[in-house]
Amino acid sequence: MFFMKRIFGIVLLVVVVVLVYVLDHPIGAMPAIGRLIDPVNGCWANAEPVNEDFSANLKLKGVANNVTVWFDEQLVPHVHAANAHDVYFIEGYIHACFRLWQIDMETRAAAGRVSEVVGDKALKFDRKQRRKGMGYGAENSLRAMEADPRTKEMMDAYTEGINNYIASLNYRHLPLEYKLMGFAPEKWTNLKTALLLKYMADDLTGKTDDIAMSYLRDVLPKEELDLLFPDKVPGSSPVIPKGTVFEKPSLSVPVAPPDSIAFPHFKAADFGERHEDGKGSNNWVLSGSRTASGAPILCNDPHLGLNLPSLWYEIQLQAPGLNVYGASLPGTPGVIIGFNDSLTWGFTNNYRDVKDYYLIKPVAENRNKYWFSGKQLDYTKRVEHILVKGKPEVIDTVNYTIHGPVMYDEHFSESIGMKENLAVCWMAHRATNEMLAIYLMNRAGNYNQFVDGILNFQCPAQNMAYADRAGNIAVWGQGQFVNKWKDQGKYVMNGSDSSTLWGQLIPMRENPHVLNPAQGYVASANQSVTDDTYPYWYNGSGFVELRAWRINQVLSGTQKATVEDMFKLQNDTYSWLAAGTLPLLLKDIDSLKSPLAKKYRGLLSEWDYRLGAASESATFFQIWWNFLSKDKYEKIFSNIPNQLWPLQERTMQLLQTDKLYKLNIELWDQTKPYELSGDHIPAEILIRAGEPHYLSRKSFEEAIDSIKKFERKISAFRKTDNPLKWYYAKNTTVSHLAKIPAFSYDHLKIGGWGNTVNAAKSDHGPSWRMVVQMGKEIEAYGVYPGGQSGNPGSKYYGNFIQNWVDGKYFKLLFLPNADKQENKSIKYVWTVKGG
Amino acid sequence: MKFFLGVILIAVLSALAEYFLPWWTIAVVAFLVSLMLGFKPGKSFLLGFLGVGLCWFSFAMLHDYSNEHILSTRMAVLFKLPNYGLFILVTVFVGGLVGGLASWAGALLKTPNPSR
Repeated sequence: MFFMKRIFGIVLLVVVVVLVYVLDHPIGAMPAIGRLIDPVNGCWANAEPVNEDFSANLKLKGVANNVTVWFDEQLVPHVHAANAHDVYFIEGYIHACFRLWQIDMETRAAAGRVSEVVGDKALKFDRKQRRKGMGYGAENSLRAMEADPRTKEMMDAYTEGINNYIASLNYRHLPLEYKLMGFAPEKWTNLKTALLLKYMADDLTGKTDDIAMSYLRDVLPKEELDLLFPDKVPGSSPVIPKGTVFEKPSLSVPVAPPDSIAFPHFKAADFGERHEDGKGSNNWVLSGSRTASGAPILCNDPHLGLNLPSLWYEIQLQAPGLNVYGASLPGTPGVIIGFNDSLTWGFTNNYRDVKDYYLIKPVAENRNKYWFSGKQLDYTKRVEHILVKGKPEVIDTVNYTIHGPVMYDEHFSESIGMKENLAVCWMAHRATNEMLAIYLMNRAGNYNQFVDGILNFQCPAQNMAYADRAGNIAVWGQGQFVNKWKDQGKYVMNGSDSSTLWGQLIPMRENPHVLNPAQGYVASANQSVTDDTYPYWYNGSGFVELRAWRINQVLSGTQKATVEDMFKLQNDTYSWLAAGTLPLLLKDIDSLKSPLAKKYRGLLSEWDYRLGAASESATFFQIWWNFLSKDKYEKIFSNIPNQLWPLQERTMQLLQTDKLYKLNIELWDQTKPYELSGDHIPAEILIRAGEPHYLSRKSFEEAIDSIKKFERKISAFRKTDNPLKWYYAKNTTVSHLAKIPAFSYDHLKIGGWGNTVNAAKSDHGPSWRMVVQMGKEIEAYGVYPGGQSGNPGSKYYGNFIQNWVDGKYFKLLFLPNADKQENKSIKYVWTVKGG
Repeated sequence: MKFFLGVILIAVLSALAEYFLPWWTIAVVAFLVSLMLGFKPGKSFLLGFLGVGLCWFSFAMLHDYSNEHILSTRMAVLFKLPNYGLFILVTVFVGGLVGGLASWAGALLKTPNPSR
């Protein structure tokens, strides 16, 4: 009896050990459950009390003098330090304290090190990051940043601050996502900061249409290509207002080599990299002549991925000669977009093309060499070691050419397949020091100092809007550009001829800019940068015009503007596209008589062209427009890999002039150049296509069908608000970086779309709305779709989101540069002593 | 009374152990306490279950109350549970199960006192 008991006891003990082992280890995608739900150390430890007292006395090794940090009601820290080192040290410490997991993941993503923590499902992503030269570019920039004593001190201190915080952590205090994903933070380095900046450069300049355009150039007659894809959309209202006189250029535009040498040809089977919509942004500045207060007002809302934890983190930094407030980018020191005692600035993406592809001709008999200018050159090999969780290390050798890394070759292609060797030449590979620009801008006291600062900002190129308390306004199309010959880099270039090499750099002072233009305002929204009088040639990788037209329309009629008027404009959902096309389209469908057709025609004819959150007309219009584009372009582009369709604004213009109808008819008449073999168009369609309004009606009926299906699907799944309301149909979601729905906010009741000023798309949108009036008193407002804390268990995790949705702002607390503060908005204080 | 004190003892020792050592030391605590006290097997399971369960319940409630269920609600969604209360229950059950089984094993392995 006793013996049996003992045997059973031992068996039970083994059961306990096995149970504990299972609960302590992740199984598949499931985290280690026991460790995770342990209320002492696991996820429960991340449940931050709602009335948490953030005040603290800290003793931090590496801080030279005492530092004070005041946290306001929104948990925005206001850092007061006695020197530059300490202010960036504390900024690093604070970023780590509130956003550690985020900056870890973002830099892993930049470097192509995601597989290391999530396994081989990220392997393709990691290889792509490495093959496009992210690490190579970051290492180059790091050298430039560390060569300048100012940015060296800034980055060293920042890194020190992050590492000081990491060293203080044990498992219990790790951010929740580390516990869920089962890894731990590693030491921060200056290289990681450089990687993060390249991550932004990739986000903003990484997309280019060169590959798609190369094929289109071969299959479309030149007039049609230019008609559908003009370098600049006609009627653009450029960033630098028309009529601005540009300085005499110091370089002359080089002569283009003959096309036969410059551009290779491709087969349909050679393709990769799908086209995606670009990211957009708005900024504008009104001079005092157009405002009620007489002081300039600057507004900015960069449109980026809507994620939690947010890309941005609000902070105020004070040190001798520095008092700046704004949106910082966790992972990098300083303030990226904001204002200081004297001036304010905002960014939108500039979109001049700074990334080009070259076809590399390998030497057939020697895999270590390629042809260039009649000679055989050696590749420089960069061996990428990719660690993969739970799997052996993967080694990828990337060949570097005179142009840059060979991104695609027989070892790596994307969805459709690219068998050719394509090298990428990209400004983001260069040793640029954007950190120095941030350092100087944050400290600038006037326009000239500001310009001296931004001249160091090379990539990603930005339209930098500016206003100061002296009443000046300005905008610069700022970045490092190459003096290109016409069409250089518009298509994939022949990489074995020296005539296609990137040439001289355009001196940055010659970048397009305007100071105090006569019109009393400047506005940029990713449109073409200049009119045709700008002396250098460039093309865009994402110029769009619709938002710019709308903003210019509103601002040109604005007098005595207040900050409230600016809030209204940032949240404007008026669709220039709908206003420009709907009256024409409605005429086309006059003959449709079904009850549903009547219903939707009625809805649309009463519509005010606003993509409001509750609008059903908006939903119907957008669906109709999608079908219309599809119907118009599907046949033209059906056999074209890597589909690139004309811009909406261009489609609108072609529709207004009836050119698109004519084009469709022509294209359908001659099948030859479009390789439509095997895909003959039924005679009936050909005949009906000849009738100009047929496609409007066809797409309208398709839209009705699709709406019926959508309604049925939705009502079957869940009871909800009318699913045809625009906000519901488009589903703007601020999603957690690891795509965890439980940590995300979906179906936000916000209007707008990519083509309206309030550009709230499904997963992109205004990532930081800021309005700053530079009067005697600086009056500043801001909001971003997130919260100051990156902890999903904190009440500060997503507490700004509702305000952002509602178009409401927080008044930003800008403290004077002083040791002591008396402000009732200050809720918590850190007193930091050096150790 | 002895049983009640045993539950409290396991709860307190578990909390202390977990503060400095990995979470699974709760199993060691329940095992050792049970080995020391030597209840009948069924009762000893209950001893460990209640002891560790009490510890985990207290900590979970403490965190959850001051957090106004922000975290527990998110975790419940993550694990596809209908509400945060159930996430607390799951937490307590898992801890209790580990404690209970360990305690049971402890009772079975206790060498009987020859004088009794």
